[in-house]
Amino acid sequence: MTAEPDLDRALVQHLADLARLHLPAERLATVLQNARRIVAAFGALGDLPLESGGDPDLQPVRLRTDTAEPPLPLDQVLANAPRTAGGMFVVPRVVDG
Amino acid sequence: MTELWQLSAAGLADQVRRGSVSARDVVRASLDRIERVDPALHAFVDHRGERALADADAIDGARARGEPLGPLAGVPIGWKDNLVVAGERTSAGSRMLADYRSPFTATALQRLQAAGAVLLGRTNMDEFGMGSSTETSAHGPTRNPWHRDCVPGGSSGGSAAAVAAGLCPLAVGSDTGGSVRQPAALCGVFGLKPTYGRVSRYGLIAYASSLDCVGVLGRSVDDLALWLAATAGVDPADPTSVAAAPTTGAAAPAADLRGVRIGVPWQLNGPGLDDEVLATVQTALATLRELGAELVECSLPSVAHAVPTYYLLAMAEAASNLARYDGVRYGARRGEGTSCDAMTTASRSRGFGDEVQLRILLGTFALSVGYQDRYYGQAIRARELLRSDFARAFAACDLLVSPTSPVPAFPLGSRIDDPLAMYLCDALTVPASLAGLPALSQPCGYTAAGLPIGLQWTAPAFGEDRLLQVAGAFAAATDHHSRRPPA
Repeated sequence: MTAEPDLDRALVQHLADLARLHLPAERLATVLQNARRIVAAFGALGDLPLESGGDPDLQPVRLRTDTAEPPLPLDQVLANAPRTAGGMFVVPRVVDG
Repeated sequence: MTELWQLSAAGLADQVRRGSVSARDVVRASLDRIERVDPALHAFVDHRGERALADADAIDGARARGEPLGPLAGVPIGWKDNLVVAGERTSAGSRMLADYRSPFTATALQRLQAAGAVLLGRTNMDEFGMGSSTETSAHGPTRNPWHRDCVPGGSSGGSAAAVAAGLCPLAVGSDTGGSVRQPAALCGVFGLKPTYGRVSRYGLIAYASSLDCVGVLGRSVDDLALWLAATAGVDPADPTSVAAAPTTGAAAPAADLRGVRIGVPWQLNGPGLDDEVLATVQTALATLRELGAELVECSLPSVAHAVPTYYLLAMAEAASNLARYDGVRYGARRGEGTSCDAMTTASRSRGFGDEVQLRILLGTFALSVGYQDRYYGQAIRARELLRSDFARAFAACDLLVSPTSPVPAFPLGSRIDDPLAMYLCDALTVPASLAGLPALSQPCGYTAAGLPIGLQWTAPAFGEDRLLQVAGAFAAATDHHSRRPPA
């Protein structure tokens, strides 16, 4: 079996950035400790012969045909949005000027 | 005298149809019971009160006009807080969705209403279904009716506690890796996870889409059968739903089990089990033999990898599914006045609890460049190996049996800081989830401390009727399901 990845602070911080999560310093240590234990425990999966089992590209969920259906009315679409204006979602400014 | 809250769903619906009791009285009895008992349990997040009574009045009105009533007429039903109801709150146990109101109703709940059921209230759950104890809920934990210092299991712990305590005869749950069956076992009630696709997931807030199933908890096999007959069937709104042959509904339990071959996979019936769980299930196996069943030893070798396989797939799918919570279209928003990216990060960091964030991080890890094939890819392969194991086992037997949970209910707070220990609570339920198979938990005994122990049945795909028949035969021969928690 191959060695476990070096799950360090930098990697966990990178994963948090990818997942759009902020980990305060006081929580990072706990997350790192738990993540290391879990990944180490899950490492045994690497013992399985790679050529056996199913196709990793197998689509586990069947998808419906891409057919347009009537959408929800606009007011219902916007009803749960934290901020709206003029029938649109409002987000922080993306482009300056 | 038997009180209304003690009756089964089948018994209540029968009385409502005959007019010996009104739907209003039935719903009122559940609401009264909630007011009296639930402050100590916290099984419900909230209830519909007057709206539920108005729905009951509509059923009573239909009866007065001579209109036919459905098989669940007037039956009050709790539903897990991750199934949406039009115009009403659904939080999935998360701060993220504290104020969310859905524009539509989940298909499973719609079908229950069409069968005459009355939606009573939302039951508590682990946040987004991520937990085995109902302790990760943003609404606070639920307590086990059998021992209030213990957890009810999870993630459908509110539904399990509600049914066990007689707050409602049936409660809808969802089962991704055991979230109906494990709390059913820990609370001493029946729990059914149908075949993947048998009941529509439309309106179920997604956790891990290739595993999520809508299920049910109840106090009798007949009630589970009624629920399944009402909810099963293809739904154009859920492309994964399947048009299977209709279930026979209240399937007659087998009078005995002669001719039934019951597989006993050794990997699920020994290693790592609590002593009392093991001894109780051994006694149950002896009862099955006395009922005429043929017990067949069998093997599911890939079960050794089931927990990591399940968690890697579930975490990966969760990381993807929960990416939708960005503070823009719905859900809590934080970080106004910053950049779009910072707003999204602040919203997610404040909206999600610790366990959800941990699973998103590990799911992101399992899918990230350099690790995907080793973790997510291996989990996909292992899932297929497990499916093949089940297919081989079912060539030699009709059903499989095991304990539902390796341990009985454990004290609140005893595992919540050790995620790995919590994940191992699902060791016996995740195999059926990974294979998409129907499975059922039923009470089979109690520990010396009086905590319930569950027996789990697993059948081939779409074998729900067989599950219900065999569980019915075991229930008819024993009285474990008749015991009730202290008042």
